[in-house]
Amino acid sequence: MTDVLDTPTRTRSLPIVDAVAPPERLAMFRMLIGTFALVYLLIRLPVFLQLGDRRTGFDGVGVAGLLDGPVSNAVVAGTVAVTVVAGIGFVLGWRFRSLGPLFALGMLALGTYRGSWGQLLHFENLMVLYLLIVALAPSADTWSLDARRRADDRRHAGAPTVYGWPIALASLALVITYVIAGIAKLRYGGLDWVFGDTLRNHVAYAAARLDLLGGTPSPFAGLGVRVESVWPFAAAATIAIELAAPIALLGGRIRTVWVIAAWLMHLGVLAFMLIGFPMPLFLVAFAPLFRIERLWTDRPPWLLRPAPQRAD
Amino acid sequence: MLVTGGVVVALLAPVAFDRDSFPLSTYPMYSRARGQAVTFATAQAVDEDGNASTLTLAVIGDSDDPLIVAGELRTSIRNDRADERCEEIARRAGVWGGLPAGSTTIEVVTERHDVVVQVGGGDSLLERTVHASCEVPT
Repeated sequence: MTDVLDTPTRTRSLPIVDAVAPPERLAMFRMLIGTFALVYLLIRLPVFLQLGDRRTGFDGVGVAGLLDGPVSNAVVAGTVAVTVVAGIGFVLGWRFRSLGPLFALGMLALGTYRGSWGQLLHFENLMVLYLLIVALAPSADTWSLDARRRADDRRHAGAPTVYGWPIALASLALVITYVIAGIAKLRYGGLDWVFGDTLRNHVAYAAARLDLLGGTPSPFAGLGVRVESVWPFAAAATIAIELAAPIALLGGRIRTVWVIAAWLMHLGVLAFMLIGFPMPLFLVAFAPLFRIERLWTDRPPWLLRPAPQRAD
Repeated sequence: MLVTGGVVVALLAPVAFDRDSFPLSTYPMYSRARGQAVTFATAQAVDEDGNASTLTLAVIGDSDDPLIVAGELRTSIRNDRADERCEEIARRAGVWGGLPAGSTTIEVVTERHDVVVQVGGGDSLLERTVHASCEVPT
């Protein structure tokens, strides 16, 4: 990997369209979201492959709504295999112009098909949106095998806005996602979601559902449900965090405070309801809000390659 | 600018049309007001005396994800396919080593529970409806 050139980054304004970033930031975003999605796909491989055996219960969502019914086992297995290979290319930045979009479309197809059997998993939405944004941007102009193949990976570097805009767009998608989730609670749940027992009942519901389905509920659920007074505050904090998401676009300390608050919210959901949102819990969801190229450029000394000894 | 605007409109469109989909969504998870009495879809093993036992996520839904297992079972009941689903579950239960001794039947049911009482370990069952019943293959 090369050193990052000094590309100015606006953090105090609200850069969306004219945001600037070094190509390394977009490359790091490619590696982070690509690795996350690829590992997710590999861990859930049995679930995705199993979809090919299903013949009843299909109810197409998204683009799968165009299908008359389930596709064949071979189509599912082929899509999974191609997506895994494309995912490796996505992460390494190898033949990115073709494999990047192929991975994003593969994950879109698999996520859509998996959600077409009666239950949408909403944490996959942002992952696929990020993949689509990164895949359609010049995300492998540096820190990639494609760039290494070229003698000088900076020679092909575009204007800083070319790399800043996709990251700003991903940030925008992130905050809009949270705002929509906050709106949904007020729209469907009303003020009762905040001031009533709804959140406590949701926690009890998640535990009871697991118990009745033969799973193991959270050990904290029973204890939490007994402390009734805490839930209205937790509910208000949840909605405040979700609706306040756009402040993260301001950058700086206010962004960091919001990210910590959102992360703690997801940690609470995991602790009390055993429902994990892996993208935010592993901080990948928040990656576009930070100068993530520093994960490599400011790496600890033990990761630095020793300078070659010169023989005099 | 146009592309950014287009993406924002696309992200917000499900809210305007109140239509949840993938990858564009209304993010409705856990957004509804919920009382203490909740109806659950599940499947249980039943012995000759009518005693019901809990199965596992894998036996009920061939998955380790409770959202998927519960969601798909609900959809089966709603779409009058509970019998089909019951046979599938019974086949898996037949080869499951943990099936309680004496279990002869699988029942696909909806049960209404007081969830706060249920989490506290009390007698929470308010109502039980059997949608399908089928024999465990031997």
